[in-house]
Amino acid sequence: MRIVCPFCGERELGEFTYLGDAKSARPAAGASEDEVFDYVYMRDNVAGPMSEYWYHGGGCRAWLKVARNTLTHEISSVEPAAGVGAKQAAR
Amino acid sequence: MAEFSWIARSPLEKALVVGGYGARGTTAGVSLTEIRNFDLIQVMARRGKAAELAKAAETRFGVTAPNAPNAVRVPDATLIWSGPDQFLVLSKGGIHAMEKLSQAFSQSASLSDQSHARALISVSGGKARSMLAKLSSLDLHPAAFPAGTAAATAVDHTSINLWRGSDRPDGQAVFNLLVFATFAESLWHTMLDAAAEYSVEISHSEALA
Amino acid sequence: MTSSQPYRLVSGGLIDRAAPLGFRFDGKSFAGFQGDTLASALIANGVKLVGRSFKYHRPRGILTAGSEEPNALVELRSGARREPNTKATTAELYDGLEAASQNRWPSLRHDLMAVNQLFAPIFVAGFYYKTFMWPARFWEAVYEPAIRRAAGLGRAAGVADPDHYDKAWAHCDVLIAGSGPAGLAAALAAGRGGARVILCEEDFALGGRLLADGGMIDGAPAAEWITRTLAELAALPDVRIMTRTTLFGVYDGGTYGALERVNDHLLSPPEHQVRQRLWRIVAKRCVVAAGAIERPIVFAGNDTPGVMMASAMRTYVARYAVTPAKRIALFTNNEDGWRTVETALGAGLQIAAVIDARPDVSAERRALAAKAGFAVLNGSVSGVEGGKDGVRKIAVSLTGGARAEVEADGLAVSGGWNPAVGLTSYHRGRPKWQDDIAAFVPDGAPPGMVAVGAANGAFGLGDCLRQGFAAGAAAAQSAGRSGNAGTSPTADEEAFSLTPLWHVAGKGKAFVDYQHDVTASDIELAQREGFESVEHLKRYTTLGMATDQGKTSNVAGLAIMAALSGKSIPETGTTIYRPPYVPVAIGAFAGHHRDENFHATRLTPSHHWAAEQGAVFVDTGLWKRAQWYPRAGEKDWLESVTREVKAVRSGVGFCDVSTLGKIDVHGPDAGAFLDRVYINTFSNLAVGKARYGLMLREDGIVYDDGTTSRLAEDHYFLTTTTAKAGLVMQHLEFCRQVLFPEFDVQLTSVSDQWAQFSIAGPSARELLKQVVDESEDLSNEGFPFMGAREVALHGGIRARLFRISFSGEMAFEISVPARYGDALVRNLMLAGKPFGVTPYGTEALGVMRIEKGHVAGPELNGTTTAADLGLGKMMSTKKDFIGRVMAGREALVAPDRQVVVGIKPVDKTRRLRSGAHIIPKGETPGPDNDQGYVTSVCFSPVLDQWIGLGLVERGRERIGEIVHAHDPLRGEDYDVELCSPVFYDPDGGRQRG
Repeated sequence: MRIVCPFCGERELGEFTYLGDAKSARPAAGASEDEVFDYVYMRDNVAGPMSEYWYHGGGCRAWLKVARNTLTHEISSVEPAAGVGAKQAAR
Repeated sequence: MAEFSWIARSPLEKALVVGGYGARGTTAGVSLTEIRNFDLIQVMARRGKAAELAKAAETRFGVTAPNAPNAVRVPDATLIWSGPDQFLVLSKGGIHAMEKLSQAFSQSASLSDQSHARALISVSGGKARSMLAKLSSLDLHPAAFPAGTAAATAVDHTSINLWRGSDRPDGQAVFNLLVFATFAESLWHTMLDAAAEYSVEISHSEALA
Repeated sequence: MTSSQPYRLVSGGLIDRAAPLGFRFDGKSFAGFQGDTLASALIANGVKLVGRSFKYHRPRGILTAGSEEPNALVELRSGARREPNTKATTAELYDGLEAASQNRWPSLRHDLMAVNQLFAPIFVAGFYYKTFMWPARFWEAVYEPAIRRAAGLGRAAGVADPDHYDKAWAHCDVLIAGSGPAGLAAALAAGRGGARVILCEEDFALGGRLLADGGMIDGAPAAEWITRTLAELAALPDVRIMTRTTLFGVYDGGTYGALERVNDHLLSPPEHQVRQRLWRIVAKRCVVAAGAIERPIVFAGNDTPGVMMASAMRTYVARYAVTPAKRIALFTNNEDGWRTVETALGAGLQIAAVIDARPDVSAERRALAAKAGFAVLNGSVSGVEGGKDGVRKIAVSLTGGARAEVEADGLAVSGGWNPAVGLTSYHRGRPKWQDDIAAFVPDGAPPGMVAVGAANGAFGLGDCLRQGFAAGAAAAQSAGRSGNAGTSPTADEEAFSLTPLWHVAGKGKAFVDYQHDVTASDIELAQREGFESVEHLKRYTTLGMATDQGKTSNVAGLAIMAALSGKSIPETGTTIYRPPYVPVAIGAFAGHHRDENFHATRLTPSHHWAAEQGAVFVDTGLWKRAQWYPRAGEKDWLESVTREVKAVRSGVGFCDVSTLGKIDVHGPDAGAFLDRVYINTFSNLAVGKARYGLMLREDGIVYDDGTTSRLAEDHYFLTTTTAKAGLVMQHLEFCRQVLFPEFDVQLTSVSDQWAQFSIAGPSARELLKQVVDESEDLSNEGFPFMGAREVALHGGIRARLFRISFSGEMAFEISVPARYGDALVRNLMLAGKPFGVTPYGTEALGVMRIEKGHVAGPELNGTTTAADLGLGKMMSTKKDFIGRVMAGREALVAPDRQVVVGIKPVDKTRRLRSGAHIIPKGETPGPDNDQGYVTSVCFSPVLDQWIGLGLVERGRERIGEIVHAHDPLRGEDYDVELCSPVFYDPDGGRQRG
C-alpha cells in the first residue's frame, strides 16, 4: 500500500503507522464516564470506506486522516490533522 | 585537578576506515564521505507564525526557506525542509549555531539543537543510485529527484533526512543523508554491505559540500 | 567430460557448443553446454528418470520446459548451499553443477518406498483426515513424526545459508511481465513513447515462446526481430530489461514483487555479490505478457517418463538441440500441438503417430503425415506402457470404439493452453471462461494492470504483437508520457482450433496433479463424498497445493469435477489465486536483515569506551547496553554486579542512561500541554526544576514515566523510558496535532543529541566538582534535589545537570552534546580515580531501583494503574488529563486489585524468582486463590539476600504477612514475606543529601 502524504508525496506503507478510527473526537473535560467509555472502546468494524488516523513517523511526523476502503485498500483522500505544523486551531 | 580533554568523537569514528572497500579491480562505483562537526538546528514555526518565520528566515539567509521538500543552499548554510512549517539549518563554525539563530527566530519559532544528534554522510558515484535503491524506497531518478530535492524518509526502519546537493564537478549526483547518531554505525555497515559489490571509496571531511 | 551427449543434435539450438560444461547428477558425471538448463542437459545425456513422486514414489521424468514443472524437482548444489525442490527445467547449467534426485531410497532406480504404490488404495484423497483421527494421544508420538518423515520432497541444507541476499526498490512508468512477442512489443511501444520501462523475464534468454517456436515478424525470422528489438530497447534511456527475474506478486498501490536470481547460474556468487535480490517495483502501469501454460490431458500412465508437454518437447529440440525421444508420438486436441511435429521433423526425428482428438484434422496436416510417413489417429490416448526407462507403447482408443497401439519412446501431449492468470487475479480477481480456447482468461485486473497476448487468451503471434504494442503505448500515455510509439510490429494471423478434452477413461492411475500425486479417481472420490466446491476439492485432495501451485493441474482438476457434478466449468469456478507465482526463498524476503543485521542497532555515546573496558552488552530493544563490567577474577555476573552496587552505595559510580527517550517540548503552551499528557501538573513547575511524571493511556492504564525538567519558561525537557521512547514521541505528536491542536507547542526528539550519564553515590558531588567549572554551585542549597540547570564544565563545554536519583543515592544526571559523551566518560574515570569511581551497567541499575522500590518495565506492564504502582496520589483532581475518566472506573479502583509490594523469602538464603505466583499460606495453589506474582527480583547487596517487587492483591494492607510463592515452571515452593517496596533508605535522606 502507498499513501500520498500531503507534505512528502507518495510513500510506501512502511513509513506510516496505523492508529485506527478517526471519526470519534475526544470528549470534553466534563464528559460522562459513558461518553469517554464509548470514545475509548466503541468502534465500528467497517467493511468499506473508513476514516483513519495514520502517522507519517518515517517521514515528516505528520498525523494524517486517511479515507481508505477497508475492502479494496483504495485511498480516496489524505488530509493533515487539525494541528499539523504551525496550523492555528481555534482555542 | 585532572587535565581534561574534550575531543569531539563522531559516531562513525570507529566504524569508518578511510580507503577502499568491497569489490576490487574496478574503479569505485560509490563514494561515501562522512562530514564531521557541523551545526544543525531544527527550526519549527510556532502556531500561526509560519509567515513570520518565513520573513525572519529571508532576513537571516537572504532566501526563502523551503516550504516544500527541498534543500536551499546559501553561501554559509543549507536550509533543509524537514516537515510542515519546519526546516533544518546546516552550517559550520558557529555562524548559525543555536545562540545566533535563537535571536533571529525568537518571535516566530521553536529551535532545537540537533548538531550532535545526527551524522552526515554524503553518497556519490556512478553506482550511488543502485546502492541507495537497496536502502531507500524513494524514486531517485534524476527526473524524479533533481538537485535540490529533499525528503524526510526512513531507511532500514531509521528516520533520515535525505537531499540531493549540487552535482560533483564530474556531473555525478550527490546525495546527503542525515541519520540519527546512535543509528549511524549500524546504518554505515548496511551502506557498506549495499555498496560493496560496486567498490567503495571511503573518506571523511570537515567541509560541508 | 565423461559423456558424449548422445541425445544432442549436431546443429541448431541456442546453446554454445564451444562452451562445454561438466555437471553431476546423482553422483554421475555428465556434460552439457552453456545455454542449457539442467533438464535439457539431462535429456542430452539420455536421462529420462529424474525423480520419484510424492506419495506413490512413482518414477517421474521431465514434463515441461519452464517454471510450471511439477516433476523434475531436484536438490541443487551440496552442503550448506543445498536447495531442495529446485526445478531442473529452470536451473541454468553451470560448470560444476551438482544435483541429486529426491524422495527415493536407496537410489532413484531402486526406490524401496515405491511399495507405497501397493498400498495405493489407502493414500487416496482425505487419507490424512480419515486415518489419523484417533487415538488422540497417537498424534504427537506416532502419527506426526511418521508423517513428517514421509512428507516433503527434498531435504533442506540444515545449516545456515552462506550466501547473501538483498532487497531493492525500483520505480517505473510501465512494468512489463514477460519478454515474449507481446512483452517485447509492449516495451518497444512504451519505451518509444518516452516511458520509464522495466521488463522482467524469468528466463535467462529473452523472447519467450519465440525462442522455440520462431515465426516471421515484419517479414523477418523471429530471432532477427528479437535482436533488432533488443538493440532498439537498449538505446532507449529509461528501459531496463531484467532477465532471470520473476514478477511474482502484485500488492496495493501499484507495488510489485519480483525475484532476481542474480547469481543462481553460477557455482557460487562472486565476492560481495548476492545470490538473489528481491525487488519491490513501484509502477504506474503494468502490462502482463506472462504467456500461457500448456496443459496436460489426464489419462492412465500420463506420468510415465517420456510423456512430455508438446511445447516442451519442441522447446528441447529447437532451443536446446536435444532429443527427448527417438520416435515421438503426439497426442493433441488442438492445432498448436502439431508445431511439435513440424519441429521434430525439421530436426530429423521420427514421428510415430499423431493422436488427434479433434473430429476434423485439416487436409494440410494429413498431407504432412502422408509425406513424412506417419499415421494420424482420430481418438485419444487411453494408456501408456512403460516404466522407469520411459515410454514403450501407447494405447489409443479410436473414435468409434476401436483400439490401436503405437510404439514410441516419447509422447508429446497438448491439451490446449491456460493463460497465466496469476498476476491479474491476485487481488481476489476471478478469471472468466472463454469458450473458443476452453480456458480461463483474465476478467479485469488490479488497478493499472492489463493482460495482453497469450496471458489474455490471444494465442496468435499477430495478436500478441498487436495487443502488446497497443497496451505498451497506452500505458506510456496514461503514465503521462507523450512520445510517438511508431507502428506496431506485425505477423500473420494463425488459427487456433481446439476440442476440449480433459480426461480419458482407462485402466491405471491417471494423474491430474503430478507433484501431489492427485489422480482423476481422487477427484471422483472427493465428488462422491461431497467435496464438490473447488475450495473443498483443493483441500480434500491437496490438488494444486504443492510448490508448483497447480500450474499444470488446477484447470484439469476442476474440469473433471465439473463433468462429475454436472456443472459447467465456469459454474464450478476457480480457487483464489495468491502470490507468489513461484516459490521465493525466505532468505530473499529477509535480504540483508539476518544475523547481526536482523535489525538496526543503536549504540550509546560511550559504547566503544565500554567495549574497551570489556563490558558485557545486553540487547534492549534496538540498543546495545552495558549490562555489567566484569573484572579479572570475578567468577560470575552476580559478583560483578554486587561489586558495582556496593561501589555506588559506598562511593560513586556512573552509568550511561542516554537510551532514555528525550524530547524538547517548546512553546508558550508547553506547560499546559504537559498537564494534559501527565497525570500530575507541570505548568506550575519552576524553571530550573525537574519532576517525576506519569502518563496514562486513555483507558486509565499507566503508559510511561520519566522525569521532565523545565529549562525555560517555554522549554521543557521530557524524558521517557528506553522502551517507549519512539512510542511516546508518536503519542505526544498525536496529542499535539490531533487531540489538542489549540496548544502552541512544538516537539523535537533530542534523544540522540545528548549523551546522558547518571552519577550516583555519596561521593557523586565530589566527583562532579572535579568536572564542573569552579564557578558552579553544586551545594544542596545551590543545587537542591530535583534541580535542573545548565552548567559549564572544565574546558568550556556546556552541559545540563539534573539532580535526580533512580538509585536512592545522592545522584546527578549530566548531559553533554553527544559527540562529547566519549570524552566525558574518560574524564569521569580520570577525575574519579581518587574516589574509586566505578562504571556500572544495567544490572546494577536494576538492583538499586528494586532496592529503592522504583517501578520499571515489569511493573509498567500494560495492566497496572497509577494507584497499583502506589502513585495514585499523583493524579491531579484539578485538571483534565489523558486517562483521567477511565482511571476512575469501578474495576480500576477496586480495593482488591493487585498492587506493588515488596517481597522477600523467609529463608534468607533462598533465591527469589520472577514469575512465582503468590498464594495465601496453607492453601493449595490454583487459579482460585492466585493473588498475584513476583515481577522483579535481584540479589540485594545491602540486605544480603534476594528481594523483589510483586503485584499482590491488597498488597499494601498486608505488609508483614507471610504468603506462599508457588513456581510451577521451576518446581519451586517457598514462603515469602510481603513488605514495603522501599527496602533501602525509606525516608530518602541519602538522595536528598
